[in-house]
Amino acid sequence: MSRATIPVLETRRLTLRAPEPEDYPDFKATFASYRSRFMGGPLNAYEAWMLYAAEIGHWDIRGFGMWMIHAKDDDRTLGMAGGWQPAAWPERELAWIIWPQEAGQGFALEATDAVRRHLYQNGWDGAVSYVDAKNLDSIRLCERLGAKRDDDAKRIDGNDTVYRHPSAAELQDTRLSWAIAREIEHYADPTFKPEGFPLD
Amino acid sequence: MIPTLTTDRLTLRPNRPDDFEPYAAFYASDRATLRGGVKTRAQAFLQFAAEIGHWTIRGFGFWAVEETASGDYCGQVGLWYPEGWAEREVGWMVVADKEGQGIALEAALRARTYAHDDLGWTEVFSCIAEGNTRSVALAERLGAQFERRHPRDGLPDHLVYRHPTPSEVTA
Repeated sequence: MSRATIPVLETRRLTLRAPEPEDYPDFKATFASYRSRFMGGPLNAYEAWMLYAAEIGHWDIRGFGMWMIHAKDDDRTLGMAGGWQPAAWPERELAWIIWPQEAGQGFALEATDAVRRHLYQNGWDGAVSYVDAKNLDSIRLCERLGAKRDDDAKRIDGNDTVYRHPSAAELQDTRLSWAIAREIEHYADPTFKPEGFPLD
Repeated sequence: MIPTLTTDRLTLRPNRPDDFEPYAAFYASDRATLRGGVKTRAQAFLQFAAEIGHWTIRGFGFWAVEETASGDYCGQVGLWYPEGWAEREVGWMVVADKEGQGIALEAALRARTYAHDDLGWTEVFSCIAEGNTRSVALAERLGAQFERRHPRDGLPDHLVYRHPTPSEVTA
């Protein structure tokens, strides 16, 4: 997939677009910070720039990659989410990172849910996430997305834990998909009153 | 859009996914010690992807060098300026079985001419890890002269060589 054909994904609060050169500063700041400790960081300026260039090049090599997440209200960048599979990755991964100053607002959940639905509609028949066992926020997000720890799956290098995402069928009008949608709505409007599946 | 360039023997073209295997083999070998360091497959993949992304960010970058007659992949040559790099440079890398045939020289000359004529660069450098005597020899054959050292985190210093200007090349 050439860069020109990277689709734009929209959610209630977010627009996901191809990563552009001008989106780099917050990526660099995040990977220079402690926030990046479970993703190979912190990185120096050269390493961060090379990783950002690799995020872009990954699309050309694999035909999928990481989208830049923008806030619809002011177009600022919030982080990245998408598909990721460098060489030596046993399976295709759903991955995310949110800039530290934007954490805690459900952006990773909302973006990754949209990415997962898009990829499932475009040929993916499943996905995993490789998470550092100490990265409790990402483990929690895996669980909110319905992913389950899979200790039989092949790992990257032994330092990661594999979470396997639910199949497309498991997300088709199920209690899980309902719960994810309601949690996303709750972040957008904390006072909303859900209808549909009863809480039990 | 990445242009394709030619020389007598070589085609400089955009990278394709199947270039990765010979690229990764180079970076798995000792030969990579003085070219950024030996890399795992995952690390080599990220650098390969970064070489492609460099074009999007900077508008120039590395080409795959292909032997036109055989179609064989020979290595990477091009123009390079990631953040933290000393100067905009012409760089080269040749895989083991294509060494000793003047391929890096021929491709680097073409890339430098592209920098001068198509991009309008008046200053072109090569940043070479200290101890990489073969690359120093190539830089000198290209008419470049040592200018200064550039320290790097955890890696050998770069020796920064300045290439002739466009008018010095044609003189």
